[in-house]
Amino acid sequence: MSAPAPLLRIDQIEVAYHRVITALQGVSVDVHAGTIVAILGTNGAGKTTTLRAVSGFIGLDDARVTSGRIVFEGEAIENQPPHRITTRGIVLVPERDKVFPNLTVAENLEATVTRPGSDRRGLIDAVWELFPALTRLKRRTAGLLSGGERQMLAIGSALVCGPRLLLVDELSQGLAPRIVDDIADRLRQVRERMGVSVLLVEQNAELALSMADHGYIMENGRIVLDGTPARLREHADVQEFYLGGTGERRSYREVKQYRRSRRWFG
Amino acid sequence: MPQPHSSGYFRTDYADDWRLLQTRGQRGAAAVGLVLACVFPLVASAFLLDLANQVLIAVVGAVALMLLTGYAGQVSLGHAGLMAAGAFTTGILARETGAPFWIALPASGAVGALIGFLFGLPSLRLRGLYLAVSTLALHFIVIHAGQEYETRRGLSSGVVIDPPSLFGAELVDPRLWYAALFVCAGAAVLFALNLLRSRTGRAWRALHGREPVAEALGIPVAGAKVSAFVIASTLTAMSGSLFAYYRGFVSSEAFSLFLTIQYVAMIIIGGMGSILGAVLGAAFVTLFPYLIEMALAQLPGGASMSSLVFAVNYAAFGLVMILFLLFEPQGLVGIWHRLRNWFLLWPFRQRPLK
Repeated sequence: MSAPAPLLRIDQIEVAYHRVITALQGVSVDVHAGTIVAILGTNGAGKTTTLRAVSGFIGLDDARVTSGRIVFEGEAIENQPPHRITTRGIVLVPERDKVFPNLTVAENLEATVTRPGSDRRGLIDAVWELFPALTRLKRRTAGLLSGGERQMLAIGSALVCGPRLLLVDELSQGLAPRIVDDIADRLRQVRERMGVSVLLVEQNAELALSMADHGYIMENGRIVLDGTPARLREHADVQEFYLGGTGERRSYREVKQYRRSRRWFG
Repeated sequence: MPQPHSSGYFRTDYADDWRLLQTRGQRGAAAVGLVLACVFPLVASAFLLDLANQVLIAVVGAVALMLLTGYAGQVSLGHAGLMAAGAFTTGILARETGAPFWIALPASGAVGALIGFLFGLPSLRLRGLYLAVSTLALHFIVIHAGQEYETRRGLSSGVVIDPPSLFGAELVDPRLWYAALFVCAGAAVLFALNLLRSRTGRAWRALHGREPVAEALGIPVAGAKVSAFVIASTLTAMSGSLFAYYRGFVSSEAFSLFLTIQYVAMIIIGGMGSILGAVLGAAFVTLFPYLIEMALAQLPGGASMSSLVFAVNYAAFGLVMILFLLFEPQGLVGIWHRLRNWFLLWPFRQRPLK
């Protein structure tokens, strides 16, 4: 394998909460520059913990990366405070509570800290252009926005930070399908126009596979399967458990097969 | 919070959003206000001048508390303690070393900054009521230290300070005081407005809104919190120093917990999250007892009620607080905005979207 070094390499990380509860057990994920990567999995599989480990937020919840490395643009970034990670170029769009409810839409964009060397004005203009819906709401207090508008604003504010990589936690949660499609389109545009890579955590497997260039499937704090969306779609377990396929019914015990099947794609 | 303008004004540039005076109307109002403020001391009686001077000192303190609580969202009950710290620094320096105004005032600010830094540190772990209680400790420690100084030096009734001299003129005339304090209050207001337009001010409002989001968008939350405490405390201690000079007298009695409550009342009655609110609230709370007193004197048999003035004052103050919290949570600024919008929109009744 002589592929170029990935933008972000999560290398065999383990994360422990309160020093005893292990949430991730040797998770490895690569994000190459200019790609969208999705992590799928059931509740409690460790998807969000992975994002929070990369963005440094686990530190606020008394958790640490206890082994393994997170390398971004050639530098180790594990266990750094979140605002440092952000100014390096990795910005998290959280699942809930993602805007400043006391500020207007325009002030939300202004409140961000832009990565040194980025053109702040240009980024703000690009956000207005990307989300015309927000432009009409410039002076609206963000606490009064709808769910979809908040998601757009959260992505917009994150973009003003001048990221190389966006971490998006649950893009579709609580949003109407049409709005989800619209926002997914915008994210693709962000990748194409601004060259921003995306690491996406998503419950909606259909959406995630339609957006991503590469997908990972997590179970119980481990990556059990990964591959291109096309290959994942063909996989019997993915069809059965994530895409609502109608194959023969299996017992939950056979989920274990994921771990074995990883070897098939290796 | 941007407010609607009368029609015909368009922002054509990002910088327009951040201009202090955005429209001709605002520039005109500012000019008229400045002229009135300059004419006031020439026509006002000594009593009115004294009131105005008290208001101006309160404006500095209220602006400081507004920055900390109204913008950065950090609750503090150590306000009187910080003012006492500034007042005692000034008193001790003037008494022991004969330090001039230009040394005592910055020194008070520096002491305030140090205390603000120390008592800002708990804010990294505590919030809301718990933070308020930890700042209460500040109050008692400072007052205790002040009392110790008073008894050790045999100044149990308080420290007497000579009037300061500025540019060769000794500040005794209330008109001169008015000029000096007007400059100080104006400087504090401009400083605050400018700070709020800067990165620091944006960071404060952001962490007030939602700390994790602020952290996610690259704002160093811990640094922003401590800076809010340091800057607000510096300004508060300096207002305490001005208070000491103006009274010519420092005593720990003057800085009771009730003073803290009065300052909290100023920013609530004035309107949270607005510098104009801090100014209006400072004026309202400072003048309120005098208004009550005058009202009582007008009542039939007012003379016999003079012994009740204190009790009536406290009761009325509490009543006004409750009324504001219930019916006008946005404070005097909220009333002012509604009035202005009513005239702007007249004869229509449409309410502008927030």
